[in-house]
Amino acid sequence: MADKHQAVIDYLINCPNILNSPLYFNFINAEDNTNQFLTKSNDKYTNTKYIDGSVGKLYTFTIITFKSVNDIAIVKLPDYPNENVSDMTDIQGLIEWINEQDELRNFPNFGEDCIVEAISTTTDEPTFDGIDEQTEPNLAVYSITIQIEYIDISKRLWR
Amino acid sequence: MPVSPINLPTHQRAPRKLLITVAEWTEGSTEKREVLGRRTEDSSIEYNADIETTTDILGINYTDVNRTQPQQDFDPYLILGGSELAAKLNDIRKRNAIEELSQFTIYVITAFTGTAGAYEAEKHVNCTIAYNSIGGDTNVNMPISVYFSNDITVGTVDKLSDDFTFTAAA
Repeated sequence: MADKHQAVIDYLINCPNILNSPLYFNFINAEDNTNQFLTKSNDKYTNTKYIDGSVGKLYTFTIITFKSVNDIAIVKLPDYPNENVSDMTDIQGLIEWINEQDELRNFPNFGEDCIVEAISTTTDEPTFDGIDEQTEPNLAVYSITIQIEYIDISKRLWR
Repeated sequence: MPVSPINLPTHQRAPRKLLITVAEWTEGSTEKREVLGRRTEDSSIEYNADIETTTDILGINYTDVNRTQPQQDFDPYLILGGSELAAKLNDIRKRNAIEELSQFTIYVITAFTGTAGAYEAEKHVNCTIAYNSIGGDTNVNMPISVYFSNDITVGTVDKLSDDFTFTAAA
């Protein structure tokens, strides 16, 4: 059975947002413009069992992005982007990339025993989780939770 | 013909996937088969027995089963890429060629009886597969009902895949 974590990492590397800034798996020493891949476990009882022995499952993970913050007010003039706003827009790019891949049906390769059906984010915008004041500079913490729907056919009898 | 034992360890429950319904039809000169129940969570063969019970003057009941009209519903029956049966049924639906719905052979394979290489099965010829609706919300669903003919040949199949060979019991 394919390593789903590695498959998702290999897949995400194709996203410019992930490619252009360091990605850490579960553990991170957070700095400006770093990403943390945080695995999540799904309750087995939410799996969908089909009469042919295959099982509908979800692979869920969260990408947490750390961005340095500034406390400068928004300048109401064109061509004066606010760093906090542009950071948010930048992070939004991952959501748009995921949506595009879903439209193109370009999914992570979970191996021959799995049929990936869809990939989506659970929100339309990144979630702002707060400010990490333990770091210098302080870091804003944003998160995007992503779900991959797939059918595990390893227990299917009829091939 | 002796009664076949359940081929499972004592007290083990038979997983649902061991009861398999397969549709067979002819397309031109080519025989096609497809297992039913992909993405279906729950489906049972309903026997729709016509039962007649009489009670004599002593209060004793006598029950007769006059006939059964087996039927199996598949809901959802999602339109899936690569499904030749879905394509066939959709083609019939488009043309409203409802007479073509009664051309199917249906196999019911009970893989919990028999042995590997000779799973017990029953073959019903001239069965009907009816589409009940088409639509749904996120995905296109075309729930179907299979009406078994009860024109049965009992036998075995050698494998659990579309290219099985059915051998009638002696």
